[in-house]
Amino acid sequence: MKKSKKVSGLMAIIAIALIGFAFMPAPKKITVKGSDTMVILAQKWAEVYMKSHPTAIIQVTGGGSGTGISALINGATDICNSSRPMKQSEMDKLKDRYASMGIEIPCAKDGITIFLNESNPVKELTIKQLSNIFSGKTRNWKEVGGPDQDIKLYGRENSSGTYVFFKDNVVKTDYAASCQTLPGTAAVVNAVSKDKFGIGYGGAAYAAGVKHCLVKKDDKSQAYVANAETVKNGQYPITRYLYMYLCNRPTGEIKAYIDWILGAEGQKLVTEIGYFPVK
Amino acid sequence: MKRITNFLLTLGLILPMLVLSTVTKAQNQFDALKKEQDTLKENVSTLRDKVGGVEERVATAEADLAKLTKIKLSGYIQAQFLHYEASNAYPDNVFMLRRVRIKFQYEPINGVVFVLQPDFQPGNITLKDAYVQLNDRWLKTFSLYAGKFNRPNYEVEYSSSSREVPERSRVIRAIYPDERATGAKLEIAPPKIPLKVQLALFNGNDGLTIPDAAGVNINPLNNDFDNHKDFMGRVTYTFKFGNIGALGIGAHGYYGAIKANTTDLLKSDYTYDKKLDNIGKLIKKNWVGFEGQLYFDFLGGLALKGEYIFGVNGTPGYTSKTTVVSPMTSAIKGDTLTLTTLTTSTTTSRPAIEKSFSGYYVYLIKNIGKRNQIAIRYDYYDPNTKVASDQIGIAKWDAAVKTVITDKFTYAGTGPVVATNAQSKTVVVNNLKSGTSDIKYQTITLAYTYFFDDNIKIMLGYEIPMNKKVGTDAKGVGNVTSAYSVNGIAGVYDYSNSLKQNTLTLRLQVKF
Repeated sequence: MKKSKKVSGLMAIIAIALIGFAFMPAPKKITVKGSDTMVILAQKWAEVYMKSHPTAIIQVTGGGSGTGISALINGATDICNSSRPMKQSEMDKLKDRYASMGIEIPCAKDGITIFLNESNPVKELTIKQLSNIFSGKTRNWKEVGGPDQDIKLYGRENSSGTYVFFKDNVVKTDYAASCQTLPGTAAVVNAVSKDKFGIGYGGAAYAAGVKHCLVKKDDKSQAYVANAETVKNGQYPITRYLYMYLCNRPTGEIKAYIDWILGAEGQKLVTEIGYFPVK
Repeated sequence: MKRITNFLLTLGLILPMLVLSTVTKAQNQFDALKKEQDTLKENVSTLRDKVGGVEERVATAEADLAKLTKIKLSGYIQAQFLHYEASNAYPDNVFMLRRVRIKFQYEPINGVVFVLQPDFQPGNITLKDAYVQLNDRWLKTFSLYAGKFNRPNYEVEYSSSSREVPERSRVIRAIYPDERATGAKLEIAPPKIPLKVQLALFNGNDGLTIPDAAGVNINPLNNDFDNHKDFMGRVTYTFKFGNIGALGIGAHGYYGAIKANTTDLLKSDYTYDKKLDNIGKLIKKNWVGFEGQLYFDFLGGLALKGEYIFGVNGTPGYTSKTTVVSPMTSAIKGDTLTLTTLTTSTTTSRPAIEKSFSGYYVYLIKNIGKRNQIAIRYDYYDPNTKVASDQIGIAKWDAAVKTVITDKFTYAGTGPVVATNAQSKTVVVNNLKSGTSDIKYQTITLAYTYFFDDNIKIMLGYEIPMNKKVGTDAKGVGNVTSAYSVNGIAGVYDYSNSLKQNTLTLRLQVKF
């Protein structure tokens, strides 16, 4: 009888322990998905944050802004990185699913940089010239002061926020069919560095090994290169915010992480990576 | 000395031979290497050709893939179990497929979109959406739609797959049956301003059930039957309050008309309004609605949405004429047999009526975490604001049955005779009485939704419709009753009571 009581007691303890384990809060993993432009920045943020917060687990993946926004709507990520503002149609989907307009957090600024091969004599281009080049109206470098050679276009895939932003703000029509789409700004930079007559665009943080083309609003304007000053004071004509999007106002560990990103330490990393702080 | 000479001679003979042998060997090796090099060159060339072929195939595949990306497929299936509490429902528990839809979207060039969405039901396929959408590629502001698509209204355009409760509110189901209409629409939505203007022109008869004298719907295929086109307009604007929330406000109006099919028109209170010149005259379908959606982030998403609509909705009547030549009748006149025929003309009419109506709905939605959502909706619909509830069943218009017999033959002779069309009889039946279509309803709907993942959700809904009680006669019986029979057991719905008409819905939705 006593033995049976002991066994029952032991079983009860095991059961309680198991239930306890089941309900014990697991370390919260924060998932971040979206913009390829922002992926190196997001990875750096996560890496540094996890070092100073050993219990935090942050998983960062790219895929493009569009992919990140879809993941946010589908509940597949906690934070979506986007290099473009959310579209109205995407906001409507978020509204339908979560009864929320979503939370938009500008976390860095970027100047979309025009990449040229280092041997290319062209130094500056106007927005109009860039539009004509990427829409296929201008096909030869000699039309913009370069050698008599065909222009080779390199751009991003249509799930990319950079693709959308550049199309909406610079090209303003369809991209030329000859524009070779590549997965990520790093790939664009790599292609242009190997192609003497190539031209590409992408985030400022990726511009190693290629020449930065100066950009001016129109023929009468002064040409600028994207740097902290020109991006901050709006002189560089192709500037944008980089965003983080969430379904609802952040709480707990996600809030702590975002506060850290927007704080001095996180913004310092923005500059280190090659982007520009929001403040 | 001689030995040295012999040795040198021997060496002189052997050395060239050795050299010759080495050179031959080297030549052979060289030839072999050259052959190997040629083979390698050949192999490289073959490989280059093969890579070229693969590149070509990849380019073709990429081009084909690019064409495929222009086609988008989406859709959803809603399978549900329903339990009806109404006493005239049989069976009162059913499994059914509420929606089985696949949406095909094809964008051959930027800015031109073709959309086709059929709904599949066992033994039946119906066309829901079928339209061409032309988007302005320059300002990205204007879109032109032509075909069959949703009428511009908040609850109509809000997809069933996203709705937080099982069905749309009663007022919307009444004034926008089937949700879609055939016509053209211009949509103005500037990309950087949260403003949307929709202007549409429709045939106006889509989804309407218009019975003839025999009760048969004369509008089964929704083909237009009058020259009048209905106009709809809707304007919405969204105010964003940073990351706190947003308020969307809007208004829509419907300016339409429908062919009367009769020459008598009643007012909303069932009194006579006027005689129409002919059955092709139009009756009014005019209303306006005001909407608002408030989104607020309070421990997760919280939404309060509502709309109020009021106006006049015309119901066409009907006119049916039949002429029957009755068999010969006989009569004795002055000892002589006469045979006559009787031609009876019967006109059965129901007057058209323009009913003033009003209705509204309010949703309160709360999301709990990423997977749970609860919603409550209150909706009200008064299909006839001019007839009080205790007058429903009493208010009516009746031209009274008119029978006129005219003799067209007078007999004065003496011999037998057959007279054709000797008598004519005209019968006119023309009336309309208030009834179930005038009863006011308030409905409370409760729903809980669990989102398994981005594709699958399950909803438990409970709809509680409450009819406004109608008056009773001297015997205490309601002025409006309807008889029914379930498995041979007769019953009567007496609308002077609150009837139990609740419905429980358990729905599984898969969306892709």
